[in-house]
Parts: sequence; structure tokens; C-alpha cells
Amino acid sequence: MLIIAKIALGFGATLAVGGAYVFHEGVINVDVDELRPGGSHVHVWVPATAVSLGMRVVPRRHLEHAASQVQPFLPVLREVAKELKRFPDAKFVEVKDSTDHVFIGTTDGKIRIDVVNNNETVHLRIPIDTVEDVADRLESDAPTI
Amino acid sequence: MNRISRGVFTLVASTAFAAACFAPISRAQTSSTTSSTTKEQWIHVRVESTDDKGETVRVNVPVEMAEKVLPAINKDKLHNGKVHIDSAHMDDVDLRSLLDAVRTSKDGEYVTVQSRENDVRVAKNNGYLYVYVTEKPRTVVKTETGKSNSAKVSKVEVKVPLKVVDALFSAGKDELDIVAALHALSANGDTELVNVKDSENTVRVWIDSKNVAD
Repeated sequence: MLIIAKIALGFGATLAVGGAYVFHEGVINVDVDELRPGGSHVHVWVPATAVSLGMRVVPRRHLEHAASQVQPFLPVLREVAKELKRFPDAKFVEVKDSTDHVFIGTTDGKIRIDVVNNNETVHLRIPIDTVEDVADRLESDAPTI
Repeated sequence: MNRISRGVFTLVASTAFAAACFAPISRAQTSSTTSSTTKEQWIHVRVESTDDKGETVRVNVPVEMAEKVLPAINKDKLHNGKVHIDSAHMDDVDLRSLLDAVRTSKDGEYVTVQSRENDVRVAKNNGYLYVYVTEKPRTVVKTETGKSNSAKVSKVEVKVPLKVVDALFSAGKDELDIVAALHALSANGDTELVNVKDSENTVRVWIDSKNVAD
């Protein structure tokens, strides 16, 4: 009986620690709903840690190619991410009319982009830390001139 | 007893480790919240349309953020926070001398143009440069359907601190230093910069320490 309790405790503790690690960087959330018959509905929840880990295990040659493509924008991306961290809850752009609503800002330390209109709804949440991490990683893999 | 204490120890250690894993988030959030409460200057742009759709656009940008991000953008004529202007258009005008003359002159109305279409006024007062443009209503014309084409009146008011203008032209002859201008704007405090009103739209650009538009 005691052994079972110990196993359960170990399992629970491992689960708690694993969960804590996986979600400690937050969650990337993408929701896209096309509001028409047969329209696509995409709902993706990915732990941000998966992206950071993924960037480390992806073969370097693939990252180099991606990095070379986005190299001109990396300094801007890194600077924006760095600055956004100072504004964890802010509204940067909001466009509203009778049918459309677009929001770009930050909520709880995540970049938040919402687009709602009669045809579709898009909700995007990306932890700012993840953006910075990706920019740093790509920059370190970008080919030097 | 020994087994129980070992179990308790394992539980406490696991909880502590889990808490340590979460700690960076809470620490980061606390520090960022604290820093955002300091007095930041924000540039606000608000466009309101009175047409059927009633479109409203609100843009809020922290000045410091713009100051940091702009130098990282190197595209076309924008480099290192400075915009290169074509000197061909500026050869005949010594802009620095012109600005210096305006700065050292007494407050007053420098330019007044009145015509049937527009009224334009350029004035200097208390360290600010003012530009007022009023587009006068045109003659009402009856269309083929019998409806009258209503005249559109528009008013543009621009108020720029002279320090900002100086900062803008503080770079080389053919350059506008946007970052320096933003810095000067931020130091100047709360100011209404642009106000445009016509029968369909209202545009406001202003700077203050609130992180949301009114």
C-alpha cells in the first residue's frame, strides 16, 4: 500500500514539475473561425516552451535558411519584443466600425491580436518572451556577412 | 515516522521546484508592471468617422518604444532613426537660417493667406509654431438628381513645439532626425499636436502620459 502511495506521489510530483516546466513560458494560442458554412475552425494551444525547445533541436541548416530570410527584420523584432515586455497590458491599435473590430496590444505579458468581423474571427496570443527568444535564436543562427 | 517525513520532504521539494519553475514568470510580470507604471509619454492618434459605418481608429504608441525601435529600422530613406530628404528640393532654401529667424523673432502671426477656398495662418506663440488651415465651403451645386451637393468644411490645426522642430533638423543638412524629435516631444510634456475636423472625419494626434486614448 505504501509503495503504491510512493509511486503515486512520485508520479504526481513528476507531473507537477513537468507541467510547471512545460507551461512556465506560457501558451501560444491561435484561434481562427471562418463564419460560413463549411468554414474552417482552427484552435491551437502550444506551450511556448515547445517552440523554444523546437528551435534548439531543429537542424542548424534549416534555421540558417529561415534566419537569412528574416535577417533584415530581426533587429526590429528583438527591439520590439524587448520594449513590449515593459508594457504587459497595453492597447496599441484598435479599429472599430459597425462590422469589424481589430485589436493589437498586449495582455498579461502576451502579444494579443484579435480580428472579429462578419466573416471570421481570429484570436492570437503569443508570449512576448517567446518572440524575443525566437528572434535571439534566429539572430544567432543568421549567416554572418 | 521516517517514511512519512520522507514523503513530506519529497512533496515539499517537488512543490518548491515547481514554484521555482513558475517564479520567472511572476517575477517578470511584477517587474514589467512596475516599470510600466512610471511616467511614460504616449503618442495617441484617434480618427473618428461619422459616416454610416462609424469607423474609429485608435493608435497608442509609447514614445520611448518608438525611440528605441526606429533606429533598428533601416529601409528606404529611413536609417538609424533619420529620414534622408532629397536635397534637390532644399537647395534654394536655407532651412536652418529660416528656423533660426523664426526662433529669434517675436511671437506673432507670420503668414496669413485668405482666399475663397482656404484661409491659412502660420503663427508663433510661447515656443510653439501654429499652423491653421480652414477650407471654406464651396458653392452648393445641385446634382442631376436634384440633391444638393453639400459643401464640406475642414479645419486643420497643427501645434508643434519649436524645440521639436529644432531637434528634427538637428541632423545633417539632408536629414530629419525623427528620434531626436520624439525625444524633444517627450520632454515637452502633454501637447495636442494635430487636430483635423471636417464634416465626415475627426483626426487628433496628441501626446500625454496616459496609456489609453480618451
